[in-house]
Amino acid sequence: MTQTLKLASRVLHRARCVFELGASLGSRGSGSAPRGLADIPGPSTLGFLAELFCKGGLSRLHELQVQGAARFGPVWLASFGKVRTVYVAAPALIEQLLRQEGPRPERCSFSPWAEHRRQRQRACGLLTAEGEEWQRLRSLLAPLLLRPQAAARYARTLDDVVLDLVRRLRRQRGRGTGSPALVRDVAGEFYKFGLEGIAAVLLGSRLGCLETEVPPDTETFIRAVGSVFVSTLLTMAMPNWLHRLVPGPWGRLCQDWDQMFAFAQKHVERREAEVAMRSQGRPEEDMESGAHLTHFLFQEELPAPSILGNVTELLLAGVDTVSNTLSWALYELSRHPEVQTALHSEITAALARGSNAHSSATVLSQLPLLKAVLKEVLRLYPVVPGNSRVPDKDIRVGDYIIPRNTLVTLCHYATSRDPAQFPEPNTFRPARWLGEGPAPHPFACLPFGFGKRSCMGRRLAELELQMALAQILTHFEVQPEPGAAPVRPMTRTVLVPERSINLQFVDR
Amino acid sequence: FFSSEDKITVHFLNRDGEILTTKGKIGDSLLDVVIENNLDIDGFGACEGTLACSTCHLIFEKHIYDKLEAITDEEDMLDLAYGLQIKISRLGCQICLTKSMDNMTVQVPDAMSDARQSIDMGKNS
Repeated sequence: MTQTLKLASRVLHRARCVFELGASLGSRGSGSAPRGLADIPGPSTLGFLAELFCKGGLSRLHELQVQGAARFGPVWLASFGKVRTVYVAAPALIEQLLRQEGPRPERCSFSPWAEHRRQRQRACGLLTAEGEEWQRLRSLLAPLLLRPQAAARYARTLDDVVLDLVRRLRRQRGRGTGSPALVRDVAGEFYKFGLEGIAAVLLGSRLGCLETEVPPDTETFIRAVGSVFVSTLLTMAMPNWLHRLVPGPWGRLCQDWDQMFAFAQKHVERREAEVAMRSQGRPEEDMESGAHLTHFLFQEELPAPSILGNVTELLLAGVDTVSNTLSWALYELSRHPEVQTALHSEITAALARGSNAHSSATVLSQLPLLKAVLKEVLRLYPVVPGNSRVPDKDIRVGDYIIPRNTLVTLCHYATSRDPAQFPEPNTFRPARWLGEGPAPHPFACLPFGFGKRSCMGRRLAELELQMALAQILTHFEVQPEPGAAPVRPMTRTVLVPERSINLQFVDR
Repeated sequence: FFSSEDKITVHFLNRDGEILTTKGKIGDSLLDVVIENNLDIDGFGACEGTLACSTCHLIFEKHIYDKLEAITDEEDMLDLAYGLQIKISRLGCQICLTKSMDNMTVQVPDAMSDARQSIDMGKNS
């Protein structure tokens, strides 16, 4: 019954949105020609540059989405670095754009990451590849990572990683002054968890990031991930003339990527040597020890440079994403003890039913409150606050024709905090996803994107988040740091906490 | 008595009103059926059955829909389907053929009206 109501409300809402879109499209009279780029409002180039570099706008890009929509409406145009980009901040218009996607959607026409690969003669991975190369990688990786149940194969591996995380949280408590249950900078701990998890999936071996002594190369890798996101944003936002004056960010970006490639290369080679050695003696064991992604890519005869490009990019993608979401989830749950209690009950009852890691993972994936909590966390703190597309043909978005090859920025942060879609948008309220009120526009909140170019790690991320939250809440009651002020998000290419989130992990 | 190699007949009512009649193996998904038989349905199954889009959205006859397995994994993507119809819409990549589906008709819903048609192409030439 609830399901029917939810669906009905969605369909009604959809009908209303289509009507509104139609009204908006037709508002200039059916005979009038749609307008072009020159007609789109937006800030002056110098004004926007000053906003970005003098007023700290780069770390507030997500808030600039909200401000832009308030000032100019759902579509505006601004120069960002070398190119002009059209910002789109209405769910119906984002839907209209994504539904016109071609067979090989392009994300970005001037990626500094792709430029690094060109200059260093490295192969692109799934994040940076475009066109046919991208399609080949997508078709190869999607069945292994994205197809339903594909991620569940990694449940046993991840179960061990999650248990190590729980042990590490326990060890990290009470370091320094303050409460004996306090863990400082939980995101820092979760970066290690993210890297350990994705490496276990990709390489089938453990790095040891969650041990008492953290291997120095893993700390270097994690630092490079954080650093590359900062330099990426700077590099992209700087116009050409500024690059000549300030070459630092580009140099740092290359150095960070070189470090990540070196790390991946070392571990891929080490792992392949181990597998080769072991399968020499007992070929039948090859299947078992080869149950990791890199080995499969070797079997598919993907060229070694391409395997390295993909492993490096997937390692990066697995670090900042799961960890920040997990940090925000626990931050919000610590401030909403009633939700935490209900979630703890739901998880405890469910885990009593699962007999092993695989079945527990399946059971966890079906829990309504756990799903709603994660949706709500990603609504408030979408890891990717703004995505982009470069249409391969002229497309219509609202009143405008966007010419092909124009960079379009999809303002997911703005739409997922739009009060018209989400009443009291800045409040953490998982119940809004459980049929509490009218359903939002389905394209208002798209933390993983939509369509062929959507997040490849989605299923893996959901699995890691569900398993980690379940175990953390089983072992601890999570409480805020006494007297701590609220923590707000900031943009570092991805959305991260603007300062450390410290939380108390009290034994249950 | 059906073995896994047995085939049933499926009719696809395409967007232009044309009916595409084909055969599919029991156990195959409706996306498999479209691909294996090279059915000409524009943009169908863009994400190759990985539940990342909703382009394989199909509308079922009520009596068939009622017997389908419950919606689990596909819920989030089904929400994003264009022209969603309560209690008869599903994603073709998640629906596998059973013998009781023999001779069923599934409807391919309209795509969002293609904006290219309304563009004055004169200005680009």
